[in-house]
Amino acid sequence: MFNEFVKKFTGRSQPSGNTAKKRLQFALVYDKLEINDKTLVNLQNDIVEVISKYFEIDTENLQLEVQREDDVSALVFNTPIINIKREMV
Amino acid sequence: MEGRTIVITSGKGGVGKTTATASIGAALALEGNRVVVIDMDIGLRNLDVVLGLENRIVFNIVDLAYQRCKVKQAAIRDRRIENFFLIPASQSDNKDVLTTVSVERVSKLLKKEFDFIIIDSPAGIERGFENSIAAADEAIVVCTPDVSSIRDADRVIGLLYARSVTPKIIVNRIVPQMVANGDMLSHEDILDVLSVELVGLVPMDEQVVVSTNTGMPLVMQNTSPAGMAFRRIAKRLNGETDIPVKVPECKTGMWNMISKKFSFKK
Repeated sequence: MFNEFVKKFTGRSQPSGNTAKKRLQFALVYDKLEINDKTLVNLQNDIVEVISKYFEIDTENLQLEVQREDDVSALVFNTPIINIKREMV
Repeated sequence: MEGRTIVITSGKGGVGKTTATASIGAALALEGNRVVVIDMDIGLRNLDVVLGLENRIVFNIVDLAYQRCKVKQAAIRDRRIENFFLIPASQSDNKDVLTTVSVERVSKLLKKEFDFIIIDSPAGIERGFENSIAAADEAIVVCTPDVSSIRDADRVIGLLYARSVTPKIIVNRIVPQMVANGDMLSHEDILDVLSVELVGLVPMDEQVVVSTNTGMPLVMQNTSPAGMAFRRIAKRLNGETDIPVKVPECKTGMWNMISKKFSFKK
């Protein structure tokens, strides 16, 4: 109570320690989700290999990326389909 | 019995790795162990000046790694503390002069002659860091209660785990008054974020500057709160695990607290 009174008196609002903790937690989560380009390229090659068993895809125009929003991260793979390989079904 | 090799590391520079290495090493020697501290910051050596041994360097860790000298020649004996030795870094060599293989060989050699081998790792996570952890069985990560240092500590902890080393942490430069005011991350906050075993909490202490100025080990001064904290850490590392971690407390009384808030003082 006394502390709060002092805070009001000295014009200080939120102590910065909490802000530090929250920012830190976010930063660490983001840091861990970061993947390097080499891994991403390897992943893309593997995905293409698997999909190519079932679909004919346009390998020139595909896209693999990690999309980040405030609290979710998603791996998004986008590819135009040219044809379905019927014989596989 | 073989000696224990412990690396002191942090990722970020300037958090107190060298002070921690010097203090823990000296304190372990005061506990009756045979201790050698090694400066692995090739090209930017500093452990020698912190320990006041800069005038006695003849050989260094690079000489030892390349078998240009013997352990006896490379290890400088501290005349103030019994069984306390320093192997300095080379100041003239390139950072990449050492390899993990050569460092591992040195480590094996030293384990036969010392109870503790404390390695002061350079900042960063490049070659120097790799070499430092290659030589170590145990690791202590030093951080301060600020966002950048904790983030780097997290990264380093990850790298250590990836090499099957389970690190412990020291939180350095705690200002109890700021923690009490909520303006500094508390050690609980830090452990929450990092989830590693705590080995000690060290308060901010002006004596550290004085100790570095004079080259007199911090742990030899009974008036230094940081020095006392490092002595407790050394005891804990030495097997006295029942010693509780002491949380730095505000020295100031109620009146000082009030006057500080109204900035009558300082």
